[in-house]
Amino acid sequence: MAKVIIIGGGWSGCAAAVTAKKAGADVTILEKTDLLLGLGNVGGIMRNNGRFTAAEEIKALGAAELIEITDRAARHTNVDFPGHRHATLYDVVRIEPLVRRKLREMGIKIEFEVRAIDVQMKDLAIRSLLTADERWIEGDVYIETTGSTGPMGNCLRYGNGCSMCILRCPTFGPRISISQRAGVEDLLGQRGDDSYGAMSGSCKLSKDSLSEEYKERLNEEGVVVVAIPPEDVDLRKLSFKVCQQYALPEFAENIVLLDTGCAKLMTSYYPLEKLRRIPGFEFARYDDPYSGGRANSIRYLSMAPRNNGMKVDKVANLLCAGEKAGLFVGHTEAIGTGSLAGHNSIRLLLGMPLLELPRAIALGDIIAYTNEMMVDDEGIKKRYTFSGGTYFTRMQKQGLYTTDVAAIKKNIERIGLTDIFRTRLI
Amino acid sequence: MQQVLNCIDAGTEYCPCFLAETGECLMCSQLQGKTFCDCRNWNGVCIYQEYVSNRSQMKEHRKTLPCRILKRDIVSDSVIILKIQVNKTLARELSQPGAYVFLRNTKDPDYFDAPMSIMSVDEREGTIEVAIQIKGAKTRALDELNTTDVSLRGPYWNGVLGLKYIKMLQKQKALIITRGVGQAPAVAVAKKLIHAGNHVEVILDQGRAGVNFAERYFRELGCEIQLKPVLNLKTLTLTDEINEYIRQSVLENGIKLVYSSGTDKIHQGICSVLQAMAPDVFFACSNGASFCCGEGICGSCQTRMSDGTRIKTCKTQLNPVEIYGRR
Repeated sequence: MAKVIIIGGGWSGCAAAVTAKKAGADVTILEKTDLLLGLGNVGGIMRNNGRFTAAEEIKALGAAELIEITDRAARHTNVDFPGHRHATLYDVVRIEPLVRRKLREMGIKIEFEVRAIDVQMKDLAIRSLLTADERWIEGDVYIETTGSTGPMGNCLRYGNGCSMCILRCPTFGPRISISQRAGVEDLLGQRGDDSYGAMSGSCKLSKDSLSEEYKERLNEEGVVVVAIPPEDVDLRKLSFKVCQQYALPEFAENIVLLDTGCAKLMTSYYPLEKLRRIPGFEFARYDDPYSGGRANSIRYLSMAPRNNGMKVDKVANLLCAGEKAGLFVGHTEAIGTGSLAGHNSIRLLLGMPLLELPRAIALGDIIAYTNEMMVDDEGIKKRYTFSGGTYFTRMQKQGLYTTDVAAIKKNIERIGLTDIFRTRLI
Repeated sequence: MQQVLNCIDAGTEYCPCFLAETGECLMCSQLQGKTFCDCRNWNGVCIYQEYVSNRSQMKEHRKTLPCRILKRDIVSDSVIILKIQVNKTLARELSQPGAYVFLRNTKDPDYFDAPMSIMSVDEREGTIEVAIQIKGAKTRALDELNTTDVSLRGPYWNGVLGLKYIKMLQKQKALIITRGVGQAPAVAVAKKLIHAGNHVEVILDQGRAGVNFAERYFRELGCEIQLKPVLNLKTLTLTDEINEYIRQSVLENGIKLVYSSGTDKIHQGICSVLQAMAPDVFFACSNGASFCCGEGICGSCQTRMSDGTRIKTCKTQLNPVEIYGRR
């Protein structure tokens, strides 16, 4: 049986597991922590702007499982906040067990607290993976979805130090770039000032630490916008953020809170002393990252060069997805690229041509566009997401953005890819 | 490089050390002069973080302390046992398998520092015991100590390779094979294993020490003791009896770990027997390298692994099969 090993159980790893399983593989996820979803445990924003289109495309392509879970775990739907429309905010507290259960129901094996640290190569293919507890794990095809966040040495050199984020490197050990171990040099993202990496763009406050009024408004409306005292407005903060879709002046001039179970604060970090001077925030404290008053995790220091079928260049049996596969931001982007990588793992094994999604759909276009853009100096400073920034503008211009579900289904049907991820290949 | 290598000092109060300042940290890619993390051998602490928060300097290094010899036992022509008063903190830090210190006659210069395994520790009294085989210039100088003072530098910990297998083993059976002065570090190993509920069998060969000076320590711990010659002195290989004994122990008696304490020849012999027969049985051994500085600086302890990579064994923890297997 075809054995697919997925390194990293974040959104893209889970999505890859789902489609690889549906294509007929024996799938194992190696996850270094005790939780699936990685940063998905602290994110929660779906379906804002172009992500709506992409989510429906993923469903129409035949990988509806994870999108349906995020819809089902929604605390709020159809939320508007500055620069963003029709967002779904899933409950970060409930989402992980739901995904874990679904994957297990599908027969996907998950090995928690297993950290892959090295590879053994044979010719140009990975023969087996070494884990930190000195086991060799063999597979036919490998999918790297280790992301690009941390570890803490990077967060220190390129950021403000370890912020004690959900990845919990000190406890479970840091991410290792498997593609680099296989001999492929990592690509690095840059910020506006040419330095490397970018900082995660939001943190979470404990909702119980906010005033009754804000708590109620969050529970009812899902969003609260509070003006920042003029002396504390710092527009520079926007330039080093990962999430360029949230790098609008509104986010520097206001505190934007979203309800994802916690109160998601749409800024990389905010000094606690300053925050508590704002009425309603007198008791504020961070839930994630714990040191959100000072820092956040650094990302994009470890991307693998890949083709549009998600195969990593120069390694015969390695694919990648999510942030590992480019300057993508967001769960939808991770699920989309992961779904393609999982499906293509079986095609790669069978020697079939890899599926490349046509540019007539948003998912196909962003995968190809990001690859084109990342080759030059300007492109490497941008981020690519359906939800804003340059890519959402492009999406609108190309006529790829719509919230008409029937039209999206029809579009996928027109290119002949309806339920392609449902096809059993082996 | 496929092995999992760890620095014994990583995360201790002596980390980051000199090697961080010279760009040769055994663990951290950032402290090897690279600019990105490649933290393959994570040990629970970000050494780069420790270094930066210590104003980009190493931590204070180990000091040489004047210590008092409480008791001196001449157990054979070539072996003496010293009981030394240290402070309780140091005694506690030395109370683990693989711990050692450097000793020298206080009147001698630094390069007389001789590495000595800790045989036993009394944490309450703050005392340690070491067994010294008088062999060369450094140990002779210690033998000639006619004062009660001795200079001691420590604590150091890498006297045993495969430490994690020893620490991991619980409620199983272990076999310790020792020869000569190698009995000394084996006492601490036996203690650790016994405390974790393991049944421990010890084979003692007096070797060149001329006496099984550690026998009473093993007995006190409750080990099962056998006296057998381990090494065939003509061929410098394991005796047939020992080979057969290991085979039986593993295949019939369910031994899960073998700890070898003696010369490299014994390590190699046991390692190859185990590899051929039961590669899943854990192998640990005393660290046979020549220690000089203990800090990864001088290079005297450098050893090649089976793939040719060089490692500094005074600090590197690894599966000893990488050194003694497949040679």
